Amino acid sequence: MRLLNLFCCFLVFYDSVSQMPVAEGKSVQQTVEILTRKLELLGAEKQGTFCVDCETYHTAASTMGNQGQAGKLMYVMHNSEYPLSCFALFENGPCLIADANFDVLMVKLKGFFQNAKANKIESRGTRYQYCDFLVKVGTVTMGPSARGISVEVEYCPCVVANDCWNLLMEFMQSFMGSHTPGIPSMFGNKHDSIYSPGDTMAQYMELFNKIRKQQQVSVAGIR
Amino acid sequence: GSASSRPARSRCRRWGWTAARPTCSRSPCPRTWRAWRSASTSARAPAPRRTSRRLGRRPATGPRPGTPRTRRNPQTLQLISKKKSLAGAAQILLKGAERLSKSVAENQENKRQRDFNSELLRLRQHWKLRKVGDKILGDLSYRSAGSLFPHHGTFEVIKNTDIDLDKKIPEDYCPLDVQIPSDLEGSAYIKVSIQKQAPDIGDLGTVNLFKRPLPKSKPGAPHWQTKLEAAQNVLLCKEIFAQLSREAVQIKSQIPHIVVKNQIISQPFPGLQLSISLCHSSNDKKSQKAASEKQSPEDHLYVLEHNLHQLIREFHKQTLSSTMMPHPASAPFGHKRMRMAGPQAFDKNDISSLQPNEGLLEKIIKQAKHIFLRRRTARTIDSLASRIEDPQIQAHWSNINDVYESSVKVLITSQGYEQICKSIQLQLNIGVEQIRVVHRDGRVITLSHQEQELQDFLLSQMSQHQVHAVQQLAKVMGWHVLSFSNHVGLGPVESIGNASAITVASPGGDYAISVRNGPESGSKVMVQFPRCQCKDLPKSDVLQDSKWNHLRGPFREVQWNKMEGRNFVYKLELLMAALTPC
Repeated sequence: MRLLNLFCCFLVFYDSVSQMPVAEGKSVQQTVEILTRKLELLGAEKQGTFCVDCETYHTAASTMGNQGQAGKLMYVMHNSEYPLSCFALFENGPCLIADANFDVLMVKLKGFFQNAKANKIESRGTRYQYCDFLVKVGTVTMGPSARGISVEVEYCPCVVANDCWNLLMEFMQSFMGSHTPGIPSMFGNKHDSIYSPGDTMAQYMELFNKIRKQQQVSVAGIR
Repeated sequence: GSASSRPARSRCRRWGWTAARPTCSRSPCPRTWRAWRSASTSARAPAPRRTSRRLGRRPATGPRPGTPRTRRNPQTLQLISKKKSLAGAAQILLKGAERLSKSVAENQENKRQRDFNSELLRLRQHWKLRKVGDKILGDLSYRSAGSLFPHHGTFEVIKNTDIDLDKKIPEDYCPLDVQIPSDLEGSAYIKVSIQKQAPDIGDLGTVNLFKRPLPKSKPGAPHWQTKLEAAQNVLLCKEIFAQLSREAVQIKSQIPHIVVKNQIISQPFPGLQLSISLCHSSNDKKSQKAASEKQSPEDHLYVLEHNLHQLIREFHKQTLSSTMMPHPASAPFGHKRMRMAGPQAFDKNDISSLQPNEGLLEKIIKQAKHIFLRRRTARTIDSLASRIEDPQIQAHWSNINDVYESSVKVLITSQGYEQICKSIQLQLNIGVEQIRVVHRDGRVITLSHQEQELQDFLLSQMSQHQVHAVQQLAKVMGWHVLSFSNHVGLGPVESIGNASAITVASPGGDYAISVRNGPESGSKVMVQFPRCQCKDLPKSDVLQDSKWNHLRGPFREVQWNKMEGRNFVYKLELLMAALTPC
């Protein structure tokens, strides 16, 4: 696997989702193993698995008034951390947190939103707990191939931005070393607002989009 | 024949005769006699106008009223007509009375006979009925009370037409009969018992039923009521057992539960087996013969069976509680807050806090464990109390208990010295798997479910009591305590607990008693005498003054088993008394 660039899209306040670059000469799985071993040495205990997946929906062309206007993309995501919920997001727009029946609703809205099945992307891995921190190290896969590694670090007691991102950074440095991401780009001026699960999903969405663009670029580069 | 068919003459004669009954004292009255004669002999005597009007026929012949003959007796005619009208009125009243008495008799007959509709009305007061086509169906399930069991529970009401009207109606005749579903016939109950673990696993599934006598129905209750109640009980037992077996299969536990036919077996404690079985005996003769061998119902825990019924009813109520109802038609059955779990992105901790943690089976196993632990604790204490006479052990059990917790206060005393020696008082809180002991001096000790642990603990406390008793006795007797230790580090090591020891000196200082008591080694009492009383002491040049001879010298052991006194403290008191010369 090639060395991928580091992308920082983390929410420091409560939760930080970032992409870990794959070490040179090693596969995705091996890098994940290195990370998890570091965590276990640190003293974190394994607490099962997690899964975050994302499906893309295009607004159907027939519903668009102007032909020139580009269709909006909607992302429907699930997170095993919130098993009964379903998240629907637009790119820079609002995030809807709904019941699990939302998927069934999307089927009924086939006429307005079409599922781009090839764009389904998910991140699966193990969940570690270290005192007040929850660390989820996952392999990002699109279809059958693994595309990258995602690391989510969550500091449970705190819900406000400014208060804990330094702590989070320090913790991440202890096991991610030099690959620790910087200040989150998403929440520039929202440092003092209360964190919500929708923010986690927004971060994941950004991460998945970046990975998708990466692959397209690299594929184009080969050709 | 009717009055109109009779010849006119005889009719007239009859009327004439009745009209001519003597109305005055003189008989025959010349006036009336003449009227009678004329009436009877004359064929043309007129029929009274009243009868002709009733019969709708005018008299054939006869003189008109006002003829010379009748003009002679206007009062007679009035009298006759009055009498006739009174008779007519009387007749009406009599007919009416006859009709009333007939209807009263009919009512009484009806009450005894109880026709179908009135019986149906009575049935409807107790059970829900509905008419489907030409059939009358009823519902005996608990669905309207909140049950989610898929059994339909419908019974059919049929008219009882096999009655012979000519024969006498039997006493218990009922015009309607109920037909219950065939799988709810007979009677059922849930047998819960705790036994030693069965060595042979092939015995599973062959639960020995005992034919429980049917609960006595109220004396005035009709037979359909008992029948329907029994069927409803069978349905409830089936629901309980279905819920238990579903949980036994689904819930993961350390030792898996075994579900075989109509029995669920689980292991609350090692070596112990809890079996819950559904015993359904139908009413046919074949099964009655099979179940005739009477198995002793002694190991059946009625309390747990009752609790199972209560728990399932509580579960029913939960589905109809205010947190569930009312709810929008599109929402599934569930707690109100669970509907918000999706939109508010609850994580796993939040969801698990909303859902009921324990199922029916877990609850009943916990209760069974508690019952067993409590029984075993009581047995341990009782066996110790009967085995050991000195010191005495008393247990005061608390009346008010929880399903998962009971408490008992254990006092260790010496007979005759209860007021002095009351330092060992233990409060035992018996939980589901552990026993928590709170000592009077504030120590809290947790014992496991093992019987031996409790026994060892109590034995060690008894041994400590003896030494504490010596301490209290010394205070009373005026002796001074020189040393006291609950856990002595010298001497042979005890296998249960530790030995305790105390040394007390007499008021004058001449004598000292040293007591060492261990749970296993028993008690050892030694007395220290003043030097001048010891004869076998080697003389030495070190002691030059004779005053040193009054100090205490060597110890000598007391042969405690030969000592007089019924218990340890009494013996010691006698010893102390003997060593303090007045």
